[in-house]
Amino acid sequence: MYIVFYSTSNVFKAESLLNKANIACNVVPTPATDKAYCGVCIEVENDVVLDILDSLEYELVMEGENKCANS
Amino acid sequence: MIYFDNAATTKDKPQEVKDAFFYYISEIGVSPGRGSYGLGIEASRMLYQTREKVAMYFGLQEPNVVFTKNSTEAINLFFRGFLKKGDHVVISPYEHNAVLRPLQALREKNLIEYTVVSPEDLGLSGDAFANKYFNENTVLLAMTLASNLTGRIVFSKERCIVAKSKGVATFVDASQGAGKIRLDMLNDGIDYVAFTGHKDLRGLPGVGGLCSKEELKIEPLIQGGTGVHGHEKTNPAIYPDAYESGTMNMPAIWAFGQAVEYSEREHDRCLSIECELVNHLIEGLKNVPYVTIYDMDCDRVSTVGFNVRGYSSNEVVRILDKHGICVRGGMHCAILAHETLGTVNTGVVRVSFCENNTLEEIDELIAIIKTIGDKRCI
Repeated sequence: MYIVFYSTSNVFKAESLLNKANIACNVVPTPATDKAYCGVCIEVENDVVLDILDSLEYELVMEGENKCANS
Repeated sequence: MIYFDNAATTKDKPQEVKDAFFYYISEIGVSPGRGSYGLGIEASRMLYQTREKVAMYFGLQEPNVVFTKNSTEAINLFFRGFLKKGDHVVISPYEHNAVLRPLQALREKNLIEYTVVSPEDLGLSGDAFANKYFNENTVLLAMTLASNLTGRIVFSKERCIVAKSKGVATFVDASQGAGKIRLDMLNDGIDYVAFTGHKDLRGLPGVGGLCSKEELKIEPLIQGGTGVHGHEKTNPAIYPDAYESGTMNMPAIWAFGQAVEYSEREHDRCLSIECELVNHLIEGLKNVPYVTIYDMDCDRVSTVGFNVRGYSSNEVVRILDKHGICVRGGMHCAILAHETLGTVNTGVVRVSFCENNTLEEIDELIAIIKTIGDKRCI
């Protein structure tokens, strides 16, 4: 699952928050083709992480999909 | 060579700052936000980490830091974006031209008005100050942290807190003093801080920035490539990207993060050394009859301004330079301060220390001042 952001700064803020919570994540190129998102995003295994990112504006892209779901 | 011009630029940088710069240009070398390959991602991560570090240094909980090339750009970004037609700004009589000139330019376009506080009123209580200087159009109190000319500390926490209670936003130009006086924006009543890296924060030239309690929602100073929303024809309303158009000076930004760490870690040691240096200089000069020290009895950072009767400041600079001592004379880009002190015609000799200066270096300067004074003033 990919967590996509509008701001690059928020990608790394999310990475910092997830790292502090010892949740594995990777910063990877954004798979979505929508131009609204910045070029990199966070890849995680599942959505249990999302509470940690409450303060951020993001959307989700599931593996193999190009559609985005509002968080 | 003795270097006493640290208020202009600190010449000696901590080794970790040099190492960080070298690491970036040799091991990273690419720009943040411009590529989604691994190295580009690492550059973006380093930019974010520096943002966090700088924000924490200034007492913010969120990484609300926009990087610019220096504090002048940060101040222009803020004033140009924040101020609207009809606004009124209150500034101190010690403001650098980096604050004065953008305001004056807006005033000459009949967009804003500003009032310069008289020097004796800097001692007023916050309420008395507000009652005297704020009017119904006042939207901003903008003051320097410390005078770049005399070292006098101008910032007042109480004044800022009272201003905010009256609905007036507060801005501190921390170009002078940011590495010497710790600001806690959330607790000190400060909404905005402009900083520069190359002075007493001991970073490299070419990096500065604007910190804000909240994310900026003003017009960007410049438009251009942001690395995100490339399909839009003006800068996107994305913070902080919208305010950092163009390629950033990432080697200096990364090194600046190390400079901030150094300044934080070594704060007490440096403060102790520099207090001793300042006291030694003032003690050595204050009883010399033909020397005038400005703002002698004020709380100060490690900067001292003085003149030698019978000499212009630049004559003194030239004499000291012949003895291998670097100090600065002239206007120091601070016309308001010179008008305040009555030194527009002579300029002021400015001596500004860092923690690596020594008492022996100061003794050399004092001895020369006493010698030249004897020749022309007695």
